[in-house]
Amino acid sequence: MVIDVLHPRKVTVPKTEIREKLAKIYKATPEVIFMFGFRTYFGGDKTIGFGMIYDSLDYVKKNETKHRLARHGLYEEKRALRKQQKEHKNRKKKFRGTAKANVGVGKK
Amino acid sequence: MAAPGVLESDFSSAVTLLKNLQEQVMAVTAHVQALTKRVQAGAYPTEKGLSFLEVKDQLLLMYLMDLSHLILNKASGGSLQGHAAVLRLVEIRTVLEKLRPLDQKLKYQIDKLVKTAVTGSLSENDPLRFKPHPSNMMSKLSSDEEEEGEAEDGQSEASGKKSTKSKKYVPPRLVPVHYDETEAEREKKRLERAKRRALSSSVIRELKEQYSDAPEEIRDARHPHVTRQSQEDQHRINYEESMMVRLSVSKREKGRRKRAHVMSSQLHSLTHFSDISALTGGAAHLDEDQNPIKKRKKILKKGRKKKGFRRRR
Repeated sequence: MVIDVLHPRKVTVPKTEIREKLAKIYKATPEVIFMFGFRTYFGGDKTIGFGMIYDSLDYVKKNETKHRLARHGLYEEKRALRKQQKEHKNRKKKFRGTAKANVGVGKK
Repeated sequence: MAAPGVLESDFSSAVTLLKNLQEQVMAVTAHVQALTKRVQAGAYPTEKGLSFLEVKDQLLLMYLMDLSHLILNKASGGSLQGHAAVLRLVEIRTVLEKLRPLDQKLKYQIDKLVKTAVTGSLSENDPLRFKPHPSNMMSKLSSDEEEEGEAEDGQSEASGKKSTKSKKYVPPRLVPVHYDETEAEREKKRLERAKRRALSSSVIRELKEQYSDAPEEIRDARHPHVTRQSQEDQHRINYEESMMVRLSVSKREKGRRKRAHVMSSQLHSLTHFSDISALTGGAAHLDEDQNPIKKRKKILKKGRKKKGFRRRR
């Protein structure tokens, strides 16, 4: 859904507050409400963003994007350290084509 | 007459069949009597129903009556040759066959009505659900929020728009046309365009107003560049809200927007007049602070296409 927030004479409303309000209006728990893309118009007073309300946490885990889940703490992205990533990339540069896929595997 | 051997085997099967028949007939009679009792007690009111279905009901009942009359006749040994009931049966049968396509056409409506009657609410895909709901304008935050005396309205619009469209193939609207325009034609077109632009410039418009008898109109006329940009902005907003994504703004777009904003907020038009040399015949000259005339060439870089959003100019 598209969410229109009118907040005259106030700073942009934080997403947590909007979550509470939406939970009250639509009689859902705040855990299944996900919001993104909030933009405040020039001059203040009006903010427009998007939001989604799911039926249950299972649906959330299946259908929601990873970065939004991470914002709510439901998903942790496993990443190697930046240095390791760069080293891996440089090692890959020595090979061509499908051999690139075997670079990290061979090393282990 | 059949041989006596065949007759004997038929005899036993005939007896069992007749017994079955008797049982079934008794069951059917009981059922029909119960139904008639309920109908007479008024358990099935049909005044507010579809008259088409009522006609079908009556026809089927008449068919049944005629059929049972004929069966009675046959069972007591009479023949069906030229019986009036046979003709009636044929007539009713043809009418029922003719009603069948109508039935097909009404099937959707009847299903919807039945579903509404059973579940008590409209289904999700019903277009009646998308009518405006003024009750959504009222703040649904409960009364414990009224103690805060601020004008905090967190209003939300639930746009129940469906994003699925039918998968019919729509051919593209652009048709390639042969290009054979000479240099002279191009010059002529350019001159015409310049003339049209000059005619709608502020100098000529004020001259027109001075010499015409029509009453003076005062309009909230914004700068033409601003309206073009505001239209594009509106298009962008519509796309974002329907697709629920945020589009990035390129540097070119930002520049255009800034220029449009600046043009509307300055007193630019007080001292800078547009070029009317197309009408006066002189050479095209410009004010010092304006940019030189540049032929706008659109060099599309690779990968600049934003799927679905690029407006066809």
